[in-house]
Amino acid sequence: MFFVQIAMLLAVITGLELVTVYLPFMKWLLVTVLVVLSTVKFMFVIFYFMHLRWDKAFCTILFFIGLVLAGGTMWALLKLFGADASKPLSAAMIEQPAAVTRLA
Amino acid sequence: MSTAAAGTIDHHHDPTTSTGIPNKKLLMWAFLASDCMFFGCLISTHLIYRLHPPPGTPSAKSVFSIELTSFSTFILLMSSLMMALAVNAIQKGNLKSMRWSLLTTIFFGCIFLGCQVFEFNNFVNEKHLTITNSILGTTFFTLTGTHGLHVLIGVIWLSGMLIYSFTGRLTEKQAIDVESMGLYWHFVDIVWIVIFTAVYLLEYI
Repeated sequence: MFFVQIAMLLAVITGLELVTVYLPFMKWLLVTVLVVLSTVKFMFVIFYFMHLRWDKAFCTILFFIGLVLAGGTMWALLKLFGADASKPLSAAMIEQPAAVTRLA
Repeated sequence: MSTAAAGTIDHHHDPTTSTGIPNKKLLMWAFLASDCMFFGCLISTHLIYRLHPPPGTPSAKSVFSIELTSFSTFILLMSSLMMALAVNAIQKGNLKSMRWSLLTTIFFGCIFLGCQVFEFNNFVNEKHLTITNSILGTTFFTLTGTHGLHVLIGVIWLSGMLIYSFTGRLTEKQAIDVESMGLYWHFVDIVWIVIFTAVYLLEYI
């Protein structure tokens, strides 16, 4: 019954996530709520369904090394490519220098 | 004693290894940690191209079906529950209960795969989104396709274990084999938890 209760809780959180995207609030607030809710689901699965809560701490450390590296890579890539200077050139901007060269 | 550690054998600690952790479990956790980085890169790639969609990229909101994806998410969560029950059953030596739980997990896994095939078919034929005609298609199909492949491997592994259980060689002492498989299956579920939020739900805000 313990695992069933956890699964029901996860299903309720999924329902809350669905409702959240239709709420008329500020975007940053909705994104934060979604990230928190999915993190809670993630933690429940790894600590209860995957038994990390009962296993030796080394298993948690090992998995979190991969998780932190993955999270860090995602954060770095999104920061790098989210910058204004990283915006891809539009087709018109790419073609413009070529047109100038032809005129010269 | 915890619910998961209620059997007569201590399935969480192995005094014969230097770490005190069963080697198969340690191997699986190391593999899952590396797979985290693999999926992290695929999800980042998708999000980066969503930050600055190139001209002509179709609107993801007009392509996605949140109802179908929510159903798939629920099915995968329930399959995780059945997998947890299967591990719990074999740790208590209840082979019959483990078989039923494994069978249900396979069934839910197949439903998830069926939903994904339906979704891909719908995107290609109805919404005209293919892996080659836009960046959205390329990153989306690569990410969700890789996840789907993981689910397929999991279903094959589960089916193999179910068949193996009928040979009589799977007992409470070999519970670690089912537990390692369970770790893989739950990992597929947690990856989908992230994909559901990052790829699907964020498009609706």
